[in-house]
Amino acid sequence: MRELLQDLVDSASGRASYADARHVRTLVEEVALRNGELDLLDRREEEGIGVRVRVKGAWGFAAVRGSGRADGEDAVARALALAEAQPGAGGEPALAPEPPARGSHASPCETDPFEVSLDDKLALLAEADAAMRSEPLVSVAQAQLLSRCQEKTFASSEGALCEQRVTECGGGLEAVAVGVSGTQVRSYPGSHSGHVAQAGWEHVLALDLVGHAPRVAAEAAALLSAPVCPSDRTTLVLAKEQLGLQIHESVGHALELDRVLGGEASYAGTSFVPADGIGSTRLGSELMSVTADATLPGALGSFRWDDEGVQARCVALVRDGTLRGFLSSRESAAEVGLERSGGCMRAEGFARQPIVRMTNVSLDAGTAGTLEELIAATRRGIYMETNRSWSIDSRRLHFQFAGEAAWEIVDGRLGRMLRDPVYAGTTPRFWGGLDAVCSPSEWGLVSVTNCGKGEPGQLASVSHGSAPARFRDVLVGSG
Amino acid sequence: MSAQAPEEVAERAREAAGAAHALATVTRERSLALRFARSRPTQATSVDDLTVELAVVTDGHVGRAATNDIGPEALRRCAGAAVLAAETAARAAGAGVYPGFPEPGALRARHGHDPETARLAPERGGEALSAAFEVAAETATEANGLWTAGEVETAIATPSGPVLVDRVTDAFLKVVAFGPGGRSGYAARTAVGLRDIDSRAAAARAAGKAAAGALEPVVLGPGEYNVVMEPHAVHELLWVLGLSAFNGLAHAEGRGALDGRLHTRVVSPAINLSDSPRHPSTLPRAFDSEAVAKAPLPLIEDGVAHRVVHDVRSGAIAAASSTGHAGAAGGAPSGPVPVNLVMAGGGAADEQELCAGVEHGIYVTRLWYTNVVRPAEALFTAVTRDGTFLIEDGRVTRPVADMRVTDSALGVLSRVRALGARSVLTSDGELYGRRFASGSVCPPLRADAVRFTGSAASG
Repeated sequence: MRELLQDLVDSASGRASYADARHVRTLVEEVALRNGELDLLDRREEEGIGVRVRVKGAWGFAAVRGSGRADGEDAVARALALAEAQPGAGGEPALAPEPPARGSHASPCETDPFEVSLDDKLALLAEADAAMRSEPLVSVAQAQLLSRCQEKTFASSEGALCEQRVTECGGGLEAVAVGVSGTQVRSYPGSHSGHVAQAGWEHVLALDLVGHAPRVAAEAAALLSAPVCPSDRTTLVLAKEQLGLQIHESVGHALELDRVLGGEASYAGTSFVPADGIGSTRLGSELMSVTADATLPGALGSFRWDDEGVQARCVALVRDGTLRGFLSSRESAAEVGLERSGGCMRAEGFARQPIVRMTNVSLDAGTAGTLEELIAATRRGIYMETNRSWSIDSRRLHFQFAGEAAWEIVDGRLGRMLRDPVYAGTTPRFWGGLDAVCSPSEWGLVSVTNCGKGEPGQLASVSHGSAPARFRDVLVGSG
Repeated sequence: MSAQAPEEVAERAREAAGAAHALATVTRERSLALRFARSRPTQATSVDDLTVELAVVTDGHVGRAATNDIGPEALRRCAGAAVLAAETAARAAGAGVYPGFPEPGALRARHGHDPETARLAPERGGEALSAAFEVAAETATEANGLWTAGEVETAIATPSGPVLVDRVTDAFLKVVAFGPGGRSGYAARTAVGLRDIDSRAAAARAAGKAAAGALEPVVLGPGEYNVVMEPHAVHELLWVLGLSAFNGLAHAEGRGALDGRLHTRVVSPAINLSDSPRHPSTLPRAFDSEAVAKAPLPLIEDGVAHRVVHDVRSGAIAAASSTGHAGAAGGAPSGPVPVNLVMAGGGAADEQELCAGVEHGIYVTRLWYTNVVRPAEALFTAVTRDGTFLIEDGRVTRPVADMRVTDSALGVLSRVRALGARSVLTSDGELYGRRFASGSVCPPLRADAVRFTGSAASG
């Protein structure tokens, strides 16, 4: 495969100023139970070659299934034809320089999840499912597992030749209770696919899905009779699963340099952050420090090289509330005068071209102690857990998030559970209200496995690290 | 590079499953997508892929496996994985509810394929981009957008023998124009064939909206406003209803927005909505993922909700038959949704006439980042984008800073006061995973008291 990819990029070089080729083989297994019935048992394998070329500044990308020489040559021909068919790009800006990627890499994995029997997986899910359904008010119990393995070989016309293998694994629970007040949901360890990590089956066992199932079901049922979250401007404490999505939507996407430069204006949108804002644009309070780290062990946005061969990096995005960097590619980095790419070009499988995506965008831990201590230090407010819905405008300014559950905070203690909690705000004002972040002992990763971007659409997986944090003067209500 | 016809591959895949009750689906996608931004080409993608999916039923459980390798060994491995999945599920969970794949129904002739579009000539995309850039230059705007075309061939080999084949094409263009002041305008067109995509016209319409936004936008506070919505915005309301109201699995589980409300008036009597896979304006489909033939299905008539949609699984739970809405063999975990919604138009000639009835309100071109907040109420939240204007004394006067809408889709449709006469095929052009282009056919509308809950400008 290495030789074939090198031949392909060599063959394109006569007509293209740059070329790269990726061979990707992906194996995915999804298993889910719903009310004791099989909801999903799906095993998918795909393999193919994607070739990307640059001709007079215009990119062309072509993908073909298979791994044969004729397949690859067909992809080269189509990529060149596509690049050449487009109107002139008005010159060919330089790409930020990068030493050729060479070598191989594999993510950590103790127990290969594909070696664990389906019987064992279904037995685990059945036990968790049954535990949730022991709560009479639970109408729908779902338990799910995901395993994924992806192998990539990459070559470029600049001499890169590298191989990577990544194994991901995880799962989660969801209990849906239905009553006269509506439908309520509780999830563990997070909504939208639970918690997935770059790890083996050991990660699933550590989640202890069965142990958490009774609590998840009981809370879903309790929400049916809980009072509605009152509307107020108040103090908001976010658990790290919801905080991870807040970071993802309002910080991560806002700092993707392709958006900042207008390259995503017709779909994902633009950004309120100016391209020349490094060092001067305030994004939040002094407690807001955010990094994009593609070297974080176990995180879904980690790799050794990105999909244009840039070595993984840890990039400071925000320091003490001020913009310090962007998520970038070789092309976008060069356009704003950065010396190096941020190493953020990622593609979903062989049939999509790499685009600027998040690596692991995380909020630094603070000094506020444990979650219990943070709540004890909060006189009045709302504590909110687990995302239920999300929406943000095309400049990543105005957002609205709904949580699965909230609790009132009264005189430093958690009070009544509240249903249908929602909060809304604008990004810099919200982050400007950040006045406490829990200590490193509370810091951990959450996963997002459904981040959509690009045309044709691509889903990316990424992790976000954070510790529970407190925000002042936030508009909270029930939608 | 897929020389073998999908129907032949489907038959080979079904044979690989041996005696199992198996459905083999082969999907071949050939597509082009050209993106542009700031009046320059940015990304261009050409895909040629073929996927084989095998679904096997054992004791009421469906196991699935897929591959894009059509060699004999790969098909045997794929079949083995599907059989193992179904048998393991049957051992672990006892008898399941899935009754087996139905006999395929009779298919009707359709109009969903355009040979010229299926040629997928890159030059056609280049010409479309050039036209958009020319308009942008003439109007002092910047053009951003997507041109895409694709051909998808689907063959399903059914357990009882027949192999069904569907060949469709789709074409989509959108232009988001930005004026010098940073305001944007939107226009899009979806069709079966490229001949119905007029790049210059779309670019000109988008540029016109961007230019109309040259004035400083008005910042409106939260509250209820009368609105005129273009079909792009109406399409989002229908998407919300598809997920939360017409989803037969959610309905069977008591989670749906029509739970306890079927055969009652749920929206304005002016609303008539059906799933119409043979409507001349839609992107037609012959059958669903379980080989059930597509057929017209009235959903709301004169404001009264009549039914939800089902796949085989949700039908089994609800003691109903499949209506041909499976998104996957065995049923998608999220449940069945309608993909050919058609909403009947009304008497207003166009958006201008709809505005004439509004003293003070908001003109909405499109909604963005729509998400369901509480499915049982069809409550959604979304943000206006690319052409939001103030309506004063019956006409559009100036731009409005984009606003957040948080309201019930059923509620908005219950407050409809007028509908435009012309329904158009509307899509957002989102093509994730295996290419499956879909859209709804809907008119513009005027509705009262739509709930706006904030904006970036007002904090």
